[in-house]
Amino acid sequence: MRVFVFLARRLIFAIILMLGVSAAIFFLINAIGNPIELMMAETPGMTGEVIERMKGYYGLDQPPLTRYLLWLGRLLHLDFGTSIVYNQPVGSLIATWGWQTLKIQLPAILIALAIAILFGVTAARRQHSRSDFTVMGTALLGQSLPAFFLGILLIFVFSYTLDWLPSYGAYSTRNPLWGSPTLDALWHMILPVAMLTFFNTATLTLLMRSNMVDVLKSDFIAAMRASGIPERRVIYVHALRAAFIPMLTYLGLLIGLMLGTAPVTESVFTWPGLGSLYVAAIHQLDYPVIMGASAVIAFMLICTTLLTDVIYVLIDPRISLEGGP
Amino acid sequence: MTDQTIASHVSAPKPAAKPARGIWRQGWQRFARSRTGMLGLVLVLIVVATAVIGPFVAPFDAQDQSPMLDPGAKAPPSWTNPLGTDRMGYDVLSRVIYGAPTALAVGLGAMSIAAAIGILVGGVAGYRGGTTDEVLMRFTDFFLVIPMFVVILAVVRLLGVAVVDTPFESVPYLNLGVIILLIGVFSWAPIARMTRAEFLRLKNQEFVEAARCIGATSGDILFRHILPNALPSLIVIIALGIGGAVLAEAMIGFLGFGDPAAVSWGQLLYFNYQALKVAPWASLSPGLAIFVTVLGFNLLADGLTDAFNPRAKN
Repeated sequence: MRVFVFLARRLIFAIILMLGVSAAIFFLINAIGNPIELMMAETPGMTGEVIERMKGYYGLDQPPLTRYLLWLGRLLHLDFGTSIVYNQPVGSLIATWGWQTLKIQLPAILIALAIAILFGVTAARRQHSRSDFTVMGTALLGQSLPAFFLGILLIFVFSYTLDWLPSYGAYSTRNPLWGSPTLDALWHMILPVAMLTFFNTATLTLLMRSNMVDVLKSDFIAAMRASGIPERRVIYVHALRAAFIPMLTYLGLLIGLMLGTAPVTESVFTWPGLGSLYVAAIHQLDYPVIMGASAVIAFMLICTTLLTDVIYVLIDPRISLEGGP
Repeated sequence: MTDQTIASHVSAPKPAAKPARGIWRQGWQRFARSRTGMLGLVLVLIVVATAVIGPFVAPFDAQDQSPMLDPGAKAPPSWTNPLGTDRMGYDVLSRVIYGAPTALAVGLGAMSIAAAIGILVGGVAGYRGGTTDEVLMRFTDFFLVIPMFVVILAVVRLLGVAVVDTPFESVPYLNLGVIILLIGVFSWAPIARMTRAEFLRLKNQEFVEAARCIGATSGDILFRHILPNALPSLIVIIALGIGGAVLAEAMIGFLGFGDPAAVSWGQLLYFNYQALKVAPWASLSPGLAIFVTVLGFNLLADGLTDAFNPRAKN
């Protein structure tokens, strides 16, 4: 029962956060200037009267609060308006481009988790050994290597110098690899996924190692070893589960960071994802896409946080349900 | 005035400043033993030295496009242009050197703003507790989930359009200032959380009780007793934040939304990235500069953790 109360409180807080974030985005962007006036600032020969008529046509002559409520109302029906540049519903644009983002970010997280568990556990078992030192050093360096610069290095080495992998896009415009569009798509995914994976792996490995070191020192591990449970089972089942739980919070943060910096990482590879859509919209002042895409990214971040909290409660029986919403 | 006299009288045998100095001296001894920390310090000092003396020793002026005529654009490294020339005929080495002050201005400027807001919010929340704490921490949560980078991009671009034909247009480095301000305003949340946790830990300790007993004011307790003891942990998170701010500005510049008047590493990448295949030196040099700076501050933070909070690591 207490679990349900906790989850309900969490959900209500997430909804309040979503309202707050959407309001912040809306009012911040609109405080800078009326969309029509800014869009027309770069168009010569626009008279005031035409601008006023356009404002009336798009409903932009109303007070900001009314416009926010109207926008919010339409968001609830998943109606993001129509893109000015593409002349398509923003919702379907976000869905198609968002799918491409998911296509590289989801594998990047899963592969990174697998590598982090492998290396983190190895390093923790042989603390202060040479392999521990190597893993730690690489992870520390990797943590500071900006993902987009890593992408540039990967392109320089694997696309330009060795000429093995494509440097841009999600598919070939003609002549797909070995005549198969699926293989062609996978071939294009290799470098972007490698970039994001490396970025994620570094921090996850450091965290995995330090959690594992703590867990391996605890009494229950000693008790399990003493009772004759095979070492492999102790480490990879029992210790791993205990060491993994604190990583969930960080995993949520990491997914948020990856999504939030998608505009940069995707533009390195001209990857047709949500981030590239957003950057293009900003360049072209495509207001409906700017508002819609940033709201969707913010909502995804909040949902990730909510989801990690929920999983945390469900898998960790020790968590206190009293403290904080 | 009276509390001051009593305070100094009571603590006369042991001056109040002594324990604080002890923390710092002990910290430095432990820091000097941390190899990663020292490496970070060296890297940071190199960046600082480049920023301070670099502009006087750089072979070319930041706006000097004369290499365009002699070795030509995209020329490979040579004696006159040690890192080659870029797509627009600038000397790469000089441009990278001139990027250092910009990067440090962003890092230090943004983190000063973030630290001021974060310490104030976190400190008040931790010290007051109760409803104030609850409200302020929910406000902090809100800033933790807002996608800072996405918002900054939109605001910088729209502001760039909005200031055209207004008096603001002639303000020097307006764009850079706005970027620094926004990075600062969107990155104080972790500092506030850390400050709150430290203040909660410290506010009921004996030395604070003692200060309260001798009638120290709230302001005195907060700023002279609790804050100095919370500083070691805060410095770690601020050092990390400086690296993060430098990186954020580089990413904004890389997307082409940087300040056209300032030389920044991200922007150098933006200008030269298309010519990566022909003139790799022009893209790789500013990229390496970003990497070294971020690495320097991250390692520095790592060493500071060793120095002030050795139990936090194994």
